[in-house]
Amino acid sequence: MKKRKKLIPWLQSMPAMILIAIIIVFPVLYTGYISLTNMNLYHWFDFKVIGLSNYARALTKVDSGFLSALLTTILWTVFNMVIQVSAAFFIALGLNTEGLKIGRIYKTLLMFPWAMPSYISILLWRVGIFNTEFGLVNKVLVSMGLEKVNFLSRNVPAFLSCMVLNLWMALPFMIMTIDGALQSIDKSSYESAQMEGAGFWAKHFHITVPALRVVIMPAVIMTTFTTFKQFDIIYLLTMQKGALSGASLQTIITYAHQNAFVSNNYGLSSAVSIIIFGIIILFSLWTNRSIKED
Amino acid sequence: MKRILSMIVCGCLAAGMLTGCGSRNNVADTAQEAGGAEEENTVEAVENTEVPGEETEPVEVKIWHDGDEAIMGKIEATVNEALKDQQISISFEKKSGLTDQLQLYGNDAANGPDLYFYAHDTLGTFVEMGIAAPISDVAGEDVFSGLLPMTVEAGTYKDVQYFMPVYFETLLFMYNKALWEGEVPETTEELYAYMEAHTDTGAGTYAVVNQHSTAYNVAPFINGFGGAVIDKNGQPGLNLAQTIEAVEYNKKFAALQADGDYNTVTTLFNEGKAAAIIGGPWLVSGIKEAGIDLGIKSLSDFKLPNGNGLAPFSGVQGVGVLKHAVDEKKDAIAQVLKVMAGREVGEALALGSNCAPANMEAYANPEVEANEMIIAIKETAETAQPMPNIPEMSVMWGPAEGLLAAVNKSGEDVKTAAERCQQDALTAIADMQ
Repeated sequence: MKKRKKLIPWLQSMPAMILIAIIIVFPVLYTGYISLTNMNLYHWFDFKVIGLSNYARALTKVDSGFLSALLTTILWTVFNMVIQVSAAFFIALGLNTEGLKIGRIYKTLLMFPWAMPSYISILLWRVGIFNTEFGLVNKVLVSMGLEKVNFLSRNVPAFLSCMVLNLWMALPFMIMTIDGALQSIDKSSYESAQMEGAGFWAKHFHITVPALRVVIMPAVIMTTFTTFKQFDIIYLLTMQKGALSGASLQTIITYAHQNAFVSNNYGLSSAVSIIIFGIIILFSLWTNRSIKED
Repeated sequence: MKRILSMIVCGCLAAGMLTGCGSRNNVADTAQEAGGAEEENTVEAVENTEVPGEETEPVEVKIWHDGDEAIMGKIEATVNEALKDQQISISFEKKSGLTDQLQLYGNDAANGPDLYFYAHDTLGTFVEMGIAAPISDVAGEDVFSGLLPMTVEAGTYKDVQYFMPVYFETLLFMYNKALWEGEVPETTEELYAYMEAHTDTGAGTYAVVNQHSTAYNVAPFINGFGGAVIDKNGQPGLNLAQTIEAVEYNKKFAALQADGDYNTVTTLFNEGKAAAIIGGPWLVSGIKEAGIDLGIKSLSDFKLPNGNGLAPFSGVQGVGVLKHAVDEKKDAIAQVLKVMAGREVGEALALGSNCAPANMEAYANPEVEANEMIIAIKETAETAQPMPNIPEMSVMWGPAEGLLAAVNKSGEDVKTAAERCQQDALTAIADMQ
């Protein structure tokens, strides 16, 4: 009877587990298998297991290019997350100001970038904002009598341009999360603090931030991962085939794509994928551990 | 009761999820199955074989493409009309990223196509993957007899013909007759002088625009100087002295040609902000819609300082046969190829879509002969170089465009960028193995 009771939850969750196995576990395992083979253009159907040599090749790619890409990825993640969380915090505070009229309309408008497909947003920004001939920014510069600027042709301006676009696309999610968390804070705490003479900064530093921290942490972690493995913004703005912008900006994902995925060498690119997968798993374990310690 | 019910529901859900994993009888999953004489295919092949006195079954040949749907529509209509008595029909299906699609479905008889219609430069990739069949497996040599030799050569890989050319393209010098002042120059130096005098980058008006950092569009300079993106043996040529000279020479033109992105240069020309564009026949429909009075000149008529004409790549569009289809629809495919190589398809494409046909007889048509664009493409093709069709070419676009963008957009030194990109190209080629 006891055994049966133990078995029933497993049986009931079996369909979901099968689904997870098919959608998530199988592709990872299959990628792992392919990474041990010589599957490439010249061995498309007659590939065979060749051991760990793809891993050895992938690790030799950890050269200066990879290290520079890693540094760019870390800078990209840190800058984006710091600005994103801070900006979202202040915007959400603004949206929760007492007496704010048509707050719902502001919130709906702020959601707009998040609701748009990222591919379309990125191409719109590339042509509509950054383009030297038709972009809004250059139109403004020319109307002020200044020279046109190619924002995407050099690394630093391209990095900043990509970051602005990422913030535009990602802020709504963070604003929504913080806005939701703000609703859960007991208003009487602010009233008590005010009676004690606390100002704007003191109230938010001692009440809002600690209360928000636990609630928004999952969203921050999720966004950090998304930002860390960001590919489409940098690729579509600066590296799209047939429309290279001139910047040589690389994150580890674009670097891996350029070095392994354009060659039709599935064995090698699978090995690179598994290595990146391992790095992200380790990063995830470390983050979870940090949260538990908190 | 609830428990039993929940168990039944769970079981049904699990079974339902796995239903899609079942296989169909006629799916050829592996190369061996498709390439070998598997039973199902043999049965189908026998069924498709004409037996005198018996009524033939209708056969539909499925073709995937990644091109202009209007052009494919014309081919489809002409072929279906010609083969209606034999109950053979073709149907085109557009697939974006055709190379990737064929990597997945090129060997899948149930879900993949029988033929593909694409540019010739991907040929080596499909052959090395083992999905493309030699044309001789379905049709005789005579099918090529009426075709321009350059187009036939473009479809040859390792001395075997895997590709049946239908039409071809080259870049052209296209100008707006209302905006261009005087005669179109005969040399690139005269062209540059004209550009200097008629370009105002601040105001956004240009004499000539070009995708100056795209390898295909800079190939006329590279080939004209005797350089190469990659040679026939798969050796990249980005750091050759001639390539470096060509890239350096192109740089001064690029400075007067806006950003160089496809959408930007096309819009500038169509909106009358650029008097000329270096582009291909695919731009014509947009230009006509913009109401531009279009003039055309062959790029080979512009002489470089070394006396050579500009020598663009020629891109041949045509059809390839997938291995699994040879067993299943050999006779029908042979008929389709014969019609596609014929004069009717050539004329339909030339008259309806301004395509330069691979069929030589089509040029005898007075209307085709009078088409300025088609004649300019044909003239350019005499000196143009077919794009390399070796698999290594697929990884060369990135490094070649990296070189051009670094020089034209980031101001990097040509020699330094050429050495770096040559190394990138060698690494990319090594990574293919």
